[in-house]
Amino acid sequence: MAGGGQLGGDGGKQQKRGSLATVRKKKKRVGFVLDMTPLVDIAFLLLTFFMFTTTMAQPQVMEMSIPPERQEQVDVKESELMTLIVRGDGKLFYKLGSETARGVAMEDLRTLAINKNLEKRNALITALKVSEDVEYGVVITVLDELNLAEVEITNQIVADGDKRERKFALVPMTEEDKIEIEGL
Amino acid sequence: MPKIKKKRVGFVLDMTPLVDIAFLLLTFFMFTAKFKSEAEAEQKFTIQRPVASADTSKIPEADVAMIKIGIDTVYNDTAYYYSLSNEMTRENVYRSVDGLTPEQQEKALIKVANIEMLEQLVAKTRTENLKTQFAIDADKSIRYKYIEDLMNVMQKYNATEFNFVTDKRGG
Repeated sequence: MAGGGQLGGDGGKQQKRGSLATVRKKKKRVGFVLDMTPLVDIAFLLLTFFMFTTTMAQPQVMEMSIPPERQEQVDVKESELMTLIVRGDGKLFYKLGSETARGVAMEDLRTLAINKNLEKRNALITALKVSEDVEYGVVITVLDELNLAEVEITNQIVADGDKRERKFALVPMTEEDKIEIEGL
Repeated sequence: MPKIKKKRVGFVLDMTPLVDIAFLLLTFFMFTAKFKSEAEAEQKFTIQRPVASADTSKIPEADVAMIKIGIDTVYNDTAYYYSLSNEMTRENVYRSVDGLTPEQQEKALIKVANIEMLEQLVAKTRTENLKTQFAIDADKSIRYKYIEDLMNVMQKYNATEFNFVTDKRGG
């Protein structure tokens, strides 16, 4: 460290001391130390404040529209109607027109919706009937599957040079529906 | 030996990297911070949102009427909760609805006592501020009946476009 040490003897000691002093001065300039503790305190205080008060990612939403209240009845062709029924225990059924209802697994719903819609093009009307006792989460899953199917259907139809018109309705469940799917 | 003592007493830690990171995080949180709304702060229950596949549509920022359906963990009952993000609308709507105590009128999130009150709230919100968009934030394990009843009410007052608040499906 101290270059003066080489001289040796008494003089060397003095030199050493002197040189040490100069080195010290230099050190003070180079190794400038600032007490950052209060700074860090405040920084972390603000940090925790912002961390606790902030709400991360806004939740996403699923858009839904229902028709305005109307009393008049709209007649539809039975051949162009697909009814999806969700039973109280969350089991899913479908029927085409006045056929008997058949069970369908949630995983197969998307393919079913795609196939049936592409068969009938834009004519098919999907009616969703949900029992009052179904968990809301199941309903959202069904709607989500239908939305995903819709993407595929639209792609196909647009690729063929047509325009897609979605026909979908939430229909209240009737007693007959309940009886029909009860034993299935 | 004395040297060691000195080292122990005058222990200096270089805090520069720590400060760097702290300020980096601080600026990040400051810029991304979106403060919890009053209604969210007042909410005493948690909502387990249903999952849906990733969607780009986000909840609107202004003029939202949020209808929450949650299960109160204390009383174990399902109830509707109503909140409006626009303070002006909120004040006017809450004041004109029957059956609200003065304390309730001061709050952002109110518990809806019955379906008639819900009807009044929706109707008053529609007349007060037509721009208001409705959002339904419901627990995934509630019965569909609550949603159906709510949709009937909204249909009655011509609020036919609304949003279901969902969580992104993981994976």
